[in-house]
Amino acid sequence: MDILSHLTPMFFGLIAAGTLIGIIFGAIPGMTATMAVAVCLPLTYAFGLENGIALLLGLYVGGISGGMVPAVLINIPGTPSSITTTFDGYPMAKRGEGERALKIGIVASVFGGLFSAAVLFFFAPVLADFAIKFSYVEKFLIILLALTVIASLTTNMLMGIFSGVLGVWLSLIGTYSITEGGNGEPRLMFDFMQYYLIDGFSLLPVLIGIFGLTTVLLDAEKGFKDEAGQGRISLKGGAKFKFNVFKGQLLNLVRSSSIGTFVGILPGVGGSAASVLAYSQEKNFSRDSSMMGKGAPQGIVSSESSNNALTGGALVPLLSLGIPGDSTTAILIGAFTLQGVQVGPLFIGNNIDTWYLMIIALLAANVMMFGIMYFAIRHIAKVIEVPKYILYPLIIMMCVVGAYAINYGIMFDVWTLLLFGVFGWVAHKVGLETVPLIIGFILGKSAEVYFVKSIESYGNLSIFFTKSPIAMFLWVLIAVSLAFAIYLRVRNRRQPAVES
Amino acid sequence: MESQWLSLLDVSIDFDQSHLFFPRIITWILVILLAVILVTRYRLMVPGLKRAGRVLIGREGEFDHKRFFGTLALTTAYFYLMSVLSDVFPNTGYSFLIMSVAFVFLLSLLYVDHLTRRLFVILVLNALIAPTLAWYVLAQLFRITLP
Repeated sequence: MDILSHLTPMFFGLIAAGTLIGIIFGAIPGMTATMAVAVCLPLTYAFGLENGIALLLGLYVGGISGGMVPAVLINIPGTPSSITTTFDGYPMAKRGEGERALKIGIVASVFGGLFSAAVLFFFAPVLADFAIKFSYVEKFLIILLALTVIASLTTNMLMGIFSGVLGVWLSLIGTYSITEGGNGEPRLMFDFMQYYLIDGFSLLPVLIGIFGLTTVLLDAEKGFKDEAGQGRISLKGGAKFKFNVFKGQLLNLVRSSSIGTFVGILPGVGGSAASVLAYSQEKNFSRDSSMMGKGAPQGIVSSESSNNALTGGALVPLLSLGIPGDSTTAILIGAFTLQGVQVGPLFIGNNIDTWYLMIIALLAANVMMFGIMYFAIRHIAKVIEVPKYILYPLIIMMCVVGAYAINYGIMFDVWTLLLFGVFGWVAHKVGLETVPLIIGFILGKSAEVYFVKSIESYGNLSIFFTKSPIAMFLWVLIAVSLAFAIYLRVRNRRQPAVES
Repeated sequence: MESQWLSLLDVSIDFDQSHLFFPRIITWILVILLAVILVTRYRLMVPGLKRAGRVLIGREGEFDHKRFFGTLALTTAYFYLMSVLSDVFPNTGYSFLIMSVAFVFLLSLLYVDHLTRRLFVILVLNALIAPTLAWYVLAQLFRITLP
């Protein structure tokens, strides 16, 4: 078994290190799992694919899990997906049950993470086998569906669609690649730019700029008001955690984990959507939800199991279709490209050892997250007090390493990082949606190749509707996602009117 | 009859111009969407832009000009000087190391609210140790290309 040769102490050591660093990033308000992966990406340059994946998956799982710490202790979600943990975690902490609340969250997180890893293991190969049969037409429609779903579920649908299309447009800057069947001619730039942009903007400097530097600029603008020290609650004393708190919570765990996994599978839908959906479902369906919002363990269970279930779910479209499920997996796609591996329908079949190692790494990361957080939660809680004037300069420094090393030493990639860091700040100010923009940027070039090849092969636009039953089904899904988004907006507009 | 209708959807792509085919479609979609956004949100955008202008010049709202523009200026200077210095020390990572020490220290100094002697020592130590550690691990141990 070749796979056993990769299961070295180094492999598991990197998972543990990644998980710990991820927890630290997640525990600091304003810093996310995406940022953790972006900043630590340069470390993977030196490792092979397997060890690099071990580190990145540890960071991913740790980053999502760490978000519960400030959510419980200072009422600020460390990551957007921990928003609903504040509803019950903080009230529990205020009445002296902070450690109990955190440990409930840790157990729920590990359940959600393992549940979604199981779904990933069984579902991704089936989806990939199905997707292998896709022609250029279906591949283009899959990308169109992904962008439609992402854009239609954003806060403002019009801005979401605009952001996705803008991302596609940005990805087309450069030459029409000969290796993809293009004519090698440059487009969407002036002549003097050709020296730098002949291959377009590199993916990782763009991602590192938008998720690393933009975060620093947004905080710099606020003047670094130290929220971490305010209203922090001590973990000493209070009620002890016992596992019997989970009695009667199995249905909640399974339902919330399923919701988290499903939302993770939908490309670009944020973690906060998963936890809010799972929380509201628990509120609607549980026998007694009267205490929810006032410090009920069931609220933390639904929130944390759903947000950790995102991890496995978001990897399903990435590994079976080559479409990232969220912003963190968007960076993972860059890490794979860096190692010379193309994710998509052929990935699992062609890289079976890597596939099994990913599952092992994901399981191990969840188990290690549980071990680290459960037994060292009092020490981890101190992380939220690390001042940003120490952290942020180091983050920019690491962003430089990530951007510079990606193409083995191109200074233009460092300027790209700055350009897109500022662009991300402006985008935030004018209401552009970052996730559709990034997914559009990642999928834009493939969309062009599939679209143009489809037309070159068939010579008629009707082929996009009539190629196969799958193509027709994909159009139905596109229409349903748009109709659902419009329905949600109409309902949300009516609700405040009724309430007032 | 049906084939006549279908022929309306016929498209042929000239290979010499194929690099512009998809970008033109995307540009047109982008322009149309931008026009729709401008038309539907015009009433919100004009006051929003005016307010943004007032915030940027410091007449309204809470905007830390010193830290925001200081971050931009320091980062730009960091990248520029690193690029200049990398010609002096090519392929060694020294340019990264020297400029990172200065950048980390100055940016930390910019972000600190109340500077004490103890804090100053911490910032100096952080600026010396962290970039040196990063340079040693990445450039020396892992052989990663640094400026």
